[in-house]
Amino acid sequence: MARLPQPPVTEWVNTGMGGATAALDYDAELMLRVKDGDGASFGLLLEKHRSAVVHFLYRMVQHHAVAEELAQEVFLRVFRSRGTYEPTAKFTTWLFRIATHLALNALRDGRNERSEERLDARSEDMPARQVEDRRPSVEQEMVRRAALDEVKRAVAALPDKQRAAVLMHKYREMEYSQIAKVLNCSESAVKSLLFRAYETLRARLAHMA
Amino acid sequence: MTCPMEGEGTREVLVAYGGGRALNGNDTQLLEAHLETCPRCREFVRGQRAVWDALDGWEAEPVSADFDRRLFARIEQEVPWWQRIRGRLGVLLIHRALPVTAVAALVVAGVLLDRPSLLKRRVPPETDQVEGLQPDQVVHALDEMEVLNQFNRSMKPDAAQPQM
Repeated sequence: MARLPQPPVTEWVNTGMGGATAALDYDAELMLRVKDGDGASFGLLLEKHRSAVVHFLYRMVQHHAVAEELAQEVFLRVFRSRGTYEPTAKFTTWLFRIATHLALNALRDGRNERSEERLDARSEDMPARQVEDRRPSVEQEMVRRAALDEVKRAVAALPDKQRAAVLMHKYREMEYSQIAKVLNCSESAVKSLLFRAYETLRARLAHMA
Repeated sequence: MTCPMEGEGTREVLVAYGGGRALNGNDTQLLEAHLETCPRCREFVRGQRAVWDALDGWEAEPVSADFDRRLFARIEQEVPWWQRIRGRLGVLLIHRALPVTAVAALVVAGVLLDRPSLLKRRVPPETDQVEGLQPDQVVHALDEMEVLNQFNRSMKPDAAQPQM
């Protein structure tokens, strides 16, 4: 698609943020270019956020194929929404709101039913692989795998919203305010969600220290 | 420093510190001084660090190499045919052809306004001939056709009878 010339960023800030003085983030600029028909900018956004979205979804549903399918849907929705896009929030807030919404729906629909099977299958698979690995020993690898499975199970056991909040806080290093916008709740509700979630995780994982 | 565990709004300081995040101003010094005297907060931070380390060990699998190809294939399916054509012709159709068409239309309009005679309808010559026929000419033509019919009947009497 053709790349079109864009007006200066300051114009967008004045017209697009409803009077807000915050500068428009680069992602939002790219999205506005996509809105104007610039396919290359969509490619840049995809390149920049593909891994973050897939990894977030993977940790949410704990199934790689389902996570990629959901991530495809996320970017499809971004593309479909290009015509009506307005930079009223950070682009990543909007992006993760879509991702979280889809992940919560998927968890509700039970699309990750195979995640537990997968965890078990991987644990069984590993000894065969370790023999030819550079890893120190079979035992150490087994311990590492067991610990990882325990972490996954602990995260999977969290209520969906707490899980989403922890993953955004830990792996995306999002501020409370941004997580609140993604989850469509107050900042204090996010703090409370996170505190309870970490409390649960501490109870299950503190012995791993 | 008041114990962060005592207030709802201050516990996140412990979460942040346990996760190795930077605290505001001299909060780090204040908290570290507090931790020396508060076993409850110390235990909290120790547990939070353990959680953080455990989560650090959870690496996500790399994204499939054909992720983009699959996505663009789906996008291609969703884009209506006219938008695909527009995308291909893109600049030419939308950004060049339209202004050229607009200028051409203006030129034609200007010429027509300048020479209104060009707008007059030219009447086809056949119409002139039909409108130019007089009643006596029609009667004359019919008389001639009757004469020809009588001539045919006299030359070929069989042909004159209708064949069943």
